[in-house]
Amino acid sequence: MDARERTAGLERGLERTFALARSSLASGARHPRTAVVLGRLLGAGFLLCFVTGLYSHYLQDPLPWMGFPSRPEWLYRVSQGVHITAGIACIPLLLGKLYTVFPLLFRWPPARTLAGVLERASIALFVASSLVQLAIGLVNTFQWYPWTFSFRAVHFALSWVIVASLAIHIGVKLPVIARWWRRRDSIGPDGELRPVGSGEGELGARPRAGGVTGGVQRWIEKAPPAPDAVSRRTVLGAVGVAAGAAVVLTAGQSLPLLAPLNVFAPRQQRLGPQALPVNKTARAAGVIGKATDAGWTLTVRAGDRSRTFSRAELLAMPQTSVTLPIACVEGWSVSADWRGVAFRDLAALVGASGRDFTVRSLQHGAYAVTMLQADFVDDPLTLVALQLNGAPLDLDHGYPARLIAPARPGVLQTKWLASLEAR
Amino acid sequence: MNRGIRVARIVLIAFGVLGLAVGAAFLVATVRPKGLTGLAVWLVAAIVLHDGILAPVAFLANRLLRGVGRRVPAAVLAVLQVTVVVGVVMTLIVLPEIRAKQLGPRNPSVLPFDYGLRLALLWAVLALLSAAVCALLMVRSQRIRGSTR
Repeated sequence: MDARERTAGLERGLERTFALARSSLASGARHPRTAVVLGRLLGAGFLLCFVTGLYSHYLQDPLPWMGFPSRPEWLYRVSQGVHITAGIACIPLLLGKLYTVFPLLFRWPPARTLAGVLERASIALFVASSLVQLAIGLVNTFQWYPWTFSFRAVHFALSWVIVASLAIHIGVKLPVIARWWRRRDSIGPDGELRPVGSGEGELGARPRAGGVTGGVQRWIEKAPPAPDAVSRRTVLGAVGVAAGAAVVLTAGQSLPLLAPLNVFAPRQQRLGPQALPVNKTARAAGVIGKATDAGWTLTVRAGDRSRTFSRAELLAMPQTSVTLPIACVEGWSVSADWRGVAFRDLAALVGASGRDFTVRSLQHGAYAVTMLQADFVDDPLTLVALQLNGAPLDLDHGYPARLIAPARPGVLQTKWLASLEAR
Repeated sequence: MNRGIRVARIVLIAFGVLGLAVGAAFLVATVRPKGLTGLAVWLVAAIVLHDGILAPVAFLANRLLRGVGRRVPAAVLAVLQVTVVVGVVMTLIVLPEIRAKQLGPRNPSVLPFDYGLRLALLWAVLALLSAAVCALLMVRSQRIRGSTR
């Protein structure tokens, strides 16, 4: 047998195996209409995660020309709650979508043209990135980081890869999507899905084979499949119920209404010192000594104008009470009552109203130094908080003084303040 | 193909190619080589885990259920399928949480629950619910069969 015959034999073998795989996987539910129904929900979920993700990312690392609204004060809380909850709902949606189109993995030939090769490569990238994005996003909310990369950098870059691959995928599949977009074009009067015509998607009839392959096919098909309408509804129902369960059993970490149903979230809303969860404790931040030092002062500086305040001096100034949420990038959020000195009053004392401020913490490392943009400095709700829920700040919540501002992620609500400097 | 779809296609694919370049640029600029290797391992592992394990297991489970399916009404089969899918999805979400809790949360307000116990309870509730719905469906289908006899 020469090389050409061997190649041809191998090709025939692969072709048969792939045909067998496709016929075994064929099911009434695996229909372009199901792929479109799940695909548009998943696409919407991905876009929602992308937009809320960009917002959270640039709030933390703004480009020089960027400004952000400080109102409504619940903006970040809602945005990040939606980000995490939509991401969790995308898990069953993605699995359902992949289930629906799984037979396409065994197309033969795998690709006919260079464009076909590129399309399949972009699908592989799309699928892998989506799976990884949801997995690392979920595991990150458990504060478990079993990887060697920076979560934020990779999660951000992958979000671009995913949205880009999504656009390519929609572009490639557009005629199929348009064909099966509307219910009345997809489902006949008897409630059954219409058969897939040529060019209307590749999830069509099962391929037939003869000989031994055909025998195996017939053996696999011996068990009669359920009627198509039922099995399509089963897939959609299972994905819907799973997404609903995943959302309802976790969203209570940010949505007070669902708090009684919080079974699986990594946080409970009122659990922690002063009825507020903690991300980094004073011990973990290594600030216990400095934060409890009786000689602690807060320095407020603008150029060569500088003032320092002890905690007693801050308490002697006019106090403002606000109700603002702590909203963590990990998705949980809790509303709390804060009391302290309005940030803009402190800024005015050094003649720096309307300017951006650098906020420094006693702690070191990530988020020890952050920037507070002028819009937030001027907002009357932004405080140097001294009290939380009616008592002096707990050490783990930033004693002796912390920043609390509306519509900002928790990591930027700097604890254990050391200085505020106008830029 | 009409003109609108053709134009939309070109725009979408062009945007996609541009977006991929942006993503690649961010990866190269912000992730160290060691991190990129780690990411590559995760991407390949994701495909292998899904296409090589999860999907074939789902296929075999479905094949088994179809065997059962000859003896029970289609609606009962559907309820069983939905139950298994919901249980498996919740298990996939909660398993890493159980592991993270084993490794030790950073403070007592992180991962406060006994997630293993709660997952077991969820399966129990799912089994009970599904058994109740299946029993109802079986009774109903027998009644219909009885009345047509």
